[in-house]
Amino acid sequence: MEEKVCSRCGKPFISRSTFDRLLSEMKEENLGFLEEMISLCPQCRLEVYAQNLIGDRLRRVHASPYVTERRLEEMKTVKMDKRTGATVYKTCCYICNSGCDALVYVKDGKVIKVEGDPSSPVTKGTLCPKGLASKQLQNHPDRLKYPMMRVGERGEGKWRRISWEEAFNIIVQRFKEIEEKYGKHAIVLATGTQRGFARYFIRFANAWGKQWIGPGIAQCFYPRVIAGMLVLGGYAMECPDYEYTNCMLIWGANPPATWPIKALGMMEARARGAKMIVIDPVFSETASKADLWLQLRPGTDAALALSMLHVIINEELYDKDFVEKWCIGFEKLWERVQHYPPEKVEDITWVPRRQIIEAAEMYATTKPACITLGVSVDQNADTISTGRAIAMLAAITGNIDVPGGNIFPMNTRTPERTEIELKCLLCEECHERRIGSKEYPLLAGKACPLSPSAHPPTVWKAILTGKPYPVRALYAHGTNIVLSYANSEEVKKALMSLDFLVVVDLFMTETAELADIVLPAATWMERSSVVSSIQTSYRHVHLQQKTVEPLEECKSDYEILNELARRLGFGEYMFKSEEEFGDYMLKDWGITFEEFKKLGILSVPNIYKKYEKSGFKTPSGKVELYSKFLEDLGFDPLPSYREPDLSPVSTPELAKEYPLIITTGGRVPVFRHSELRNIPWLREVEPEPRVLINPRTASELGIKDGDPIIVETPLGSMEAKAHLTEGIHPKVVRVPSQWGGRHNVNRIMDNRYCAPMIGSTQLRCQLCRVRRKE
Amino acid sequence: MSRKILVIDIDRCIRCLSCEIACKQENDLPIGVRWMRVITIGPRKIKGELHMDFIPVMCLHCDDPFCAHFCPTKAISKREDGIVILDETKCIGCRLCVYACPYGVMHFNQEKNVAGKCNLCFSRVDYGLQPSCVQHCIGGALQFLDVERAEEIARGRHRTGTEKVWYISTKWELSLFGKSCKKL
Repeated sequence: MEEKVCSRCGKPFISRSTFDRLLSEMKEENLGFLEEMISLCPQCRLEVYAQNLIGDRLRRVHASPYVTERRLEEMKTVKMDKRTGATVYKTCCYICNSGCDALVYVKDGKVIKVEGDPSSPVTKGTLCPKGLASKQLQNHPDRLKYPMMRVGERGEGKWRRISWEEAFNIIVQRFKEIEEKYGKHAIVLATGTQRGFARYFIRFANAWGKQWIGPGIAQCFYPRVIAGMLVLGGYAMECPDYEYTNCMLIWGANPPATWPIKALGMMEARARGAKMIVIDPVFSETASKADLWLQLRPGTDAALALSMLHVIINEELYDKDFVEKWCIGFEKLWERVQHYPPEKVEDITWVPRRQIIEAAEMYATTKPACITLGVSVDQNADTISTGRAIAMLAAITGNIDVPGGNIFPMNTRTPERTEIELKCLLCEECHERRIGSKEYPLLAGKACPLSPSAHPPTVWKAILTGKPYPVRALYAHGTNIVLSYANSEEVKKALMSLDFLVVVDLFMTETAELADIVLPAATWMERSSVVSSIQTSYRHVHLQQKTVEPLEECKSDYEILNELARRLGFGEYMFKSEEEFGDYMLKDWGITFEEFKKLGILSVPNIYKKYEKSGFKTPSGKVELYSKFLEDLGFDPLPSYREPDLSPVSTPELAKEYPLIITTGGRVPVFRHSELRNIPWLREVEPEPRVLINPRTASELGIKDGDPIIVETPLGSMEAKAHLTEGIHPKVVRVPSQWGGRHNVNRIMDNRYCAPMIGSTQLRCQLCRVRRKE
Repeated sequence: MSRKILVIDIDRCIRCLSCEIACKQENDLPIGVRWMRVITIGPRKIKGELHMDFIPVMCLHCDDPFCAHFCPTKAISKREDGIVILDETKCIGCRLCVYACPYGVMHFNQEKNVAGKCNLCFSRVDYGLQPSCVQHCIGGALQFLDVERAEEIARGRHRTGTEKVWYISTKWELSLFGKSCKKL
């Protein structure tokens, strides 16, 4: 039978006779102009239709701004849904750290649907694709169901099912043996993004007196937050006030892919007409909506921020009253920024000087303005300087704690972070002996304003060399260590050489495969908590409630930690249950968790300019442009730019062999770090890891769109598919993070060079080369 | 009751992909069947500027749908409110509708041997809810509005589409089949 081939992709898709019949009937209906469309296969039709819809007919028109209406419903924490016959529980989605209000539909004890919560003042009924696919996580056939014990060689994949009792007994006994033989610091705890139980895990570690590590610490969150605290004494840099802003400076973040609540706020502000400046080496979804996009060389953020300060200070665009009244060290900052004129910084950052000036002027003169930071500022050669310089932009323009600026989150009448974490229990010796405390005091020393955490690359070295002292056991709770840190080969070698490794997770991850004991954890739908987090909202307390019983023998993170603490002899510092911990969180509200389960949300009103009453929570009570605290620690009291340790400037010889800059910032809306590749609905959208390459570079290398490629550094190679895009600089490639196996980019990222003060790994600015995979 | 329009504001789509997964969940679609798609156009340079746009693409609920015209079993029909629905129990899996749809938005479910497409979540709509893609749209690009409100928003903006589904933009001059083609 003769077939009609698609006139675009060339694939046959329909018999010639059917096609002729369709065409003749359409012509009869006077619709012959559709011939072009129906000559395409259905897949090509869809794409051509989308292309034709906008064509290249760019013609901007002015129309009245409007904000998308959202239907807000009344909050009900448990209700029946007649349409599906399900019981609907209001809870918080913890597929990522956002903690969005969500509705879980349960029928016959099974999760049948997960949706956004239209009663939420924060999400307004929306939910991201990851949250929406949670049903497939919950009911995944590969979930761990029972505790298991290794019976073959480490990593061989031979397991024996054991009871929880047996698992706890082995863990306690082995930890005791290791402690006796090697000392108390020979056991290190590890955690991942700790969604919903972050403070409880740290409480567990601090109560036990053990050091802990996490990829979401030295190379994410801590640097930008601590830098902001050094300048402002609080979390303002994490809290842009989109509701009243007129200008958004989005720095190294792409909320549509990574942070739905922020994306919603950002787009509502945009709909009102707020301006938007985006700083990103890649033309991201966010950048595509911006007024101004600054395509900087990866890792040069601090130079750009200092240059913007230069423009704002020299053009006298700063808020003179605020600076005079509330800032210390302005003259010294003035002197420092004179080293960063736009014409010089253009050479460092590759951002044209005109754009640096334009961005600085737009941000400083459009009031109020807010800044949104992403993880990319946490992964360069001096993350504390970067975070501080950016915080100073907000400070000297008077955009701190004003409507539409960067605001301090409200005290939601729940205990302070470090209070929940029992930071007070940490002894001098713990601070002294924590790995990395001398080199990186803001991360691992007593100087860390949050709960200090050990320095991961130095921990791997301690495991492998026994120096400064032996580390022989690791308790990994919800973290895929093998994929989540630079130099995976070294990390894997370190894990392989341990005496004892416990992994708690949902699935048999690359890290769990190497364990002695694997424990099955509950999903976010199977546990309860009181959510009071700036990542969720600045002035609400949200309810996360258990919607179904944990699968088979899975246990919630709280239950596992409580039981371990009890058996290890420090149970009195933990709570008996999630509900009891909830009661503690709500003690200042005078209600119990059980009562909160009927309310679903608690709110406090927003108050601005809180510093006018109580000052800034810095040592001086003011905004510290010059930090005496850092000076006393022996560091530069002012921010400066530090060139990445591996770059065309720092290592020109290496750059001859590895001429491209690699950034591992690739994030897509459907995955969360190392997770969710096994969720069918999500994987369908992003089936393979894609490396962004400029078409010019690709053509020089003989690479076409979709070709399999190999990315190499001196450490080794990884494989992916080429995705050609004009949205990236010809000298830069962007690789997605944390795919598994041969697609794991962390195999080729160096961990030897770390940012001063806090020890961040430079994951956004190293050198590589790319070739086609033959 | 006032007629409801699905309004798609191209300026606001940020490719968060919530609509795609919301649709898969609501309609319980297998792998390979995606009734809602977000197509990325670009990045590309136009008049010296770099542009990247995201186009949510689903059934347009045509005023006079070809899919229905060609269906031999009359499985496809247009409701009074303009929603074009497909009755799976009448579908014989002949795929004529898949080939007839000029937009490529009629899909075939091989597991069930039936055709299928966006039905604007009519069972939700009848229940007083919004289509799932609309409720979950983070950028605010998808809206399900009374015709009066839709008119108000579309005023001064470029607009194209069918009676039931409108695309609007302040940036791009919109047209269903490009400029050379006559509008439906």
